[in-house]
Amino acid sequence: MAIGNIRRRDGVFPRGALPHSYLTREERFEAEALPHLRALYGTAYRMTRNAHDAEDLVQETYLRAFRAFDRYQPGTNIRAWLFTILHRARTDSFRRQSRSPQTVELTGEGPSVPPSQDALAAGGEEIVRAMEALPEVFRSAVVLRDMEDFTYDEIARILEVPVGTVMSRIHRGRALLRSALVRRSA
Amino acid sequence: MSTTPTPACDGTRVTAYVDDALSAEDRAAVEAHLASCPACRDQEAFERGLRQRMRTLPVPELPASLEARVRRELRRRPVPAAVRWLPLAAGIALAVMWGRGAAPFVAWELARDHAHCFARERLKSEVWTSDSGEIAEWYRQHGTELPVLPSAAGGVELVGGRFCPLLDRKVAHLYYAGEKRHLSVFVVPGPARFASGFVTRTFGENVRLLHTSGMTLALVGEDAEAVDAFHRALSTSRADASSLSVPAVVAR
Repeated sequence: MAIGNIRRRDGVFPRGALPHSYLTREERFEAEALPHLRALYGTAYRMTRNAHDAEDLVQETYLRAFRAFDRYQPGTNIRAWLFTILHRARTDSFRRQSRSPQTVELTGEGPSVPPSQDALAAGGEEIVRAMEALPEVFRSAVVLRDMEDFTYDEIARILEVPVGTVMSRIHRGRALLRSALVRRSA
Repeated sequence: MSTTPTPACDGTRVTAYVDDALSAEDRAAVEAHLASCPACRDQEAFERGLRQRMRTLPVPELPASLEARVRRELRRRPVPAAVRWLPLAAGIALAVMWGRGAAPFVAWELARDHAHCFARERLKSEVWTSDSGEIAEWYRQHGTELPVLPSAAGGVELVGGRFCPLLDRKVAHLYYAGEKRHLSVFVVPGPARFASGFVTRTFGENVRLLHTSGMTLALVGEDAEAVDAFHRALSTSRADASSLSVPAVVAR
């Protein structure tokens, strides 16, 4: 069944015009949440760095979201809501394995920063590798900003940290990427 | 050529500037700084370039089976808590049904009831009499047949009786009282599993269970001698009235 259309006994409703009261809870959830599967999987993959863990994380995210769906207010930002749940599921899985995402907070800029052109000359694969080498706290902030295009406020809610922390994580993340890319090209 | 940030540079604010996350005032301040700082201009250029590169990176391919897997998981109804606990609940119910007939449990319940009733300042009684014939008649009118009972024995005499609710059944509770001693005689309907007799001390009381004329009779008292004496008197009255049969009691 296509995500876009939900078939009912009394007809087919195009997405966006779903008469919600006609739908079961599962149908409403699927219509609202499943369109974000690709984006969630993309971010889960960037966070876990492998397909297997990413699939598990996405599935866990959807199960949790479904259980909590009654608490979701229709019409609010479901995409940000789903990413918040994704991040929580990720944090909990760390807790279960009794490790924590690296919480390195770097200080200082370094004495000298090579020119940006050198860093940007890197190929796409090199950028991906540099991303994967980033500590997860910075990686998730950069992914949410630069790949998913969330605002600082949304990222703050998703990661459950203050906006100032989001700002500094994105800054540090990009700075680390820059040095990694320069080192590669050097 | 390499550019070096100066102490006046605030890289974090430049990042926020690139992401359009500054107030108009801060934006203007950063723009003014950028105009005079090659290092920060370079950072800005890098971050804008990086954002563009990131958007064009290949997206991890969505596994074909993932959507189906998620849908399947969503459709799988969670087992309701009531159903999950059902086996345990059934187990407890079975244990209770079996356990409620166990002689030690019945004895414990009766000992508790005896202590409870006699602990009251005023004995609660539905019928007051010291005549065993009269009380038998009262219980008969209320649907319970009593065996032949002595009006007095072992230093206690009949004072009255009532029905007492136990956890799972209602029993006829006859009060006998003497000087500083109390004794209860219970007629217990329902299951009570023991062979010919059951003697125990539980809840601080001496309890004796007997099968007699197809019913279960119990004697409960804090004083073992009184219970003994009453039991002997009961056997005698059985001999007098042949309807009563009291089997030998397990020796203590």
